Amino acid sequence: MKWHIIFAAFAAFLLVTYAEEEEEAARLLVSKQLLNKYLVENMDIVIKYTVYNVGNAAALEVEITDNSFHPDHFTHVSGELNARIDRVPPYTNVSHIVVVRPRKFGYFNFTSAEVLYRHKEDAGSLQFAASSEPGEAIIVSFRDYDKQFSSHVIDWAAFAVMTLPSLAIPFALWYSSKSKYEKLLKTTKKH
Amino acid sequence: MSGKSKAFTKEEELLLQDFSRNVSTKSSALFYGNAFIVSAIPIWLFWRIHLIDIYANLISFVLVTLASTYALALAYKNTKFVLKHKIAVKREDAVTKEMSRKLAEDKKMSKKEKDERILWKKNEVADYEATTFSIFYNNALFLALVIVSSFYILKTFTPAVNYIFSVGATSALLALLSTGSQ
Amino acid sequence: MNRLIIFSILICGISEIFAETCQKPEVIASAYVTEDATILTNVAFTTQFVLKCSNGVKGITLYAEVDGKSLPAARLSSDNKYQVSWTEDVKKARSGDYNIKLYDDERYAAIRKALRNGEDPNSVKPLVVVVLNNPGIYRGPWINSELLAVLLAALVSYSAFSSKFKLLA
Repeated sequence: MKWHIIFAAFAAFLLVTYAEEEEEAARLLVSKQLLNKYLVENMDIVIKYTVYNVGNAAALEVEITDNSFHPDHFTHVSGELNARIDRVPPYTNVSHIVVVRPRKFGYFNFTSAEVLYRHKEDAGSLQFAASSEPGEAIIVSFRDYDKQFSSHVIDWAAFAVMTLPSLAIPFALWYSSKSKYEKLLKTTKKH
Repeated sequence: MSGKSKAFTKEEELLLQDFSRNVSTKSSALFYGNAFIVSAIPIWLFWRIHLIDIYANLISFVLVTLASTYALALAYKNTKFVLKHKIAVKREDAVTKEMSRKLAEDKKMSKKEKDERILWKKNEVADYEATTFSIFYNNALFLALVIVSSFYILKTFTPAVNYIFSVGATSALLALLSTGSQ
Repeated sequence: MNRLIIFSILICGISEIFAETCQKPEVIASAYVTEDATILTNVAFTTQFVLKCSNGVKGITLYAEVDGKSLPAARLSSDNKYQVSWTEDVKKARSGDYNIKLYDDERYAAIRKALRNGEDPNSVKPLVVVVLNNPGIYRGPWINSELLAVLLAALVSYSAFSSKFKLLA
């Protein structure tokens, strides 16, 4: 009984794959990734859209649209949120990159982008695909980021200024006295 | 104490001993003032770089700074004491030469008085050099050890714990080392 | 093999449709490189350009090639505007000029053919070349402030130690 089911499932799987191979159509999987270690207010966020064509035909007029970056929340730096790639050959992937900067800090839910494409040369209607969702992420305020990750050059410089007198003054006083008497001793010895 | 440095006469020894052990009020104030400033400086590092909560740790700032001031002042004193004898021996000839030159014109002064003057000057020079060097030496070690311990050894601890241990332990260590090398 | 034939037929088909080629191509490009890579895992190189042809050809498909990687030129909302973008690992991104060679269908097909036949694909002249300059990526300070402080403190301590040693000697 069990074997029958497994066999039937296997057969069905074969049929499906066979049918798909026969169909000669493009199938797209779209990923949307943020290529950042941290998301920081007013600093670059790199968004990479990768379109994988897992079908056996080329996808045509692949149009990526991302409406999730509202101008109130993000400044647009480079790369457009609407782009069309004429042709994605089968079993290949192409990518598109957009750089934005968040205007505000706090939690932000990064939602998916939309992709429309023709899966066949003669397809009448367009296919729709949604990209993966990066999900909710926290955008750190620039102030906090700077505090945590800056090299504190100014703070260290101030520290150096503070410590310098307590090191330099006693050293200079000691050294001047030392060299004065050492010099004196040398001249005595020479004579 | 006595008989350690053969170059001194009994008289000299007494004088030196008197001057070095009982630190004058002036140099004591210098030691404590310096120790206090240097002990307080690490608070800046903890506030700005370790991002310690200033208000929550106010009590530990005060206590640790006071303890560290005491320990550092002790270290200054001990280091100075150890160095003073050595410096006195080193400077003896130079000071004698300087003073003899100065006092040569003064015909009225007796030999004994001149010797006393030289002795006094010798003591002054040794005291001055030992004091300044001791402050420099301990400050340098204190700051270096505080930086190393707070940024490397105790990095994983919370800033509050890090502060207490790095500053407290460093000053205690310096005080201990200064007594050890006597 | 079957796929290859389909592919080449398709390319031929497309190039027949857009038989018109761009004459005297001119590009007006703008580029952006994420130079401050302290918070990034990958450096993004993006360039957007408008292609102008003297014969008024519009909407042709472009293919780009940068450092041997082939990339599609994405068409943007406005007419004849394209974007070529890619990312590189922060550690591997080199500074200097990147030549983005752009090919139209005809030239791209010629490159494919050259590659298939084992010929030098560089023999095919690109339609136009866009240069993107990467002035250099900032990966954070070259020396840690703490480390510098420790080194300086060690230096001062060393001089203190050696002076003390001399005094006690």
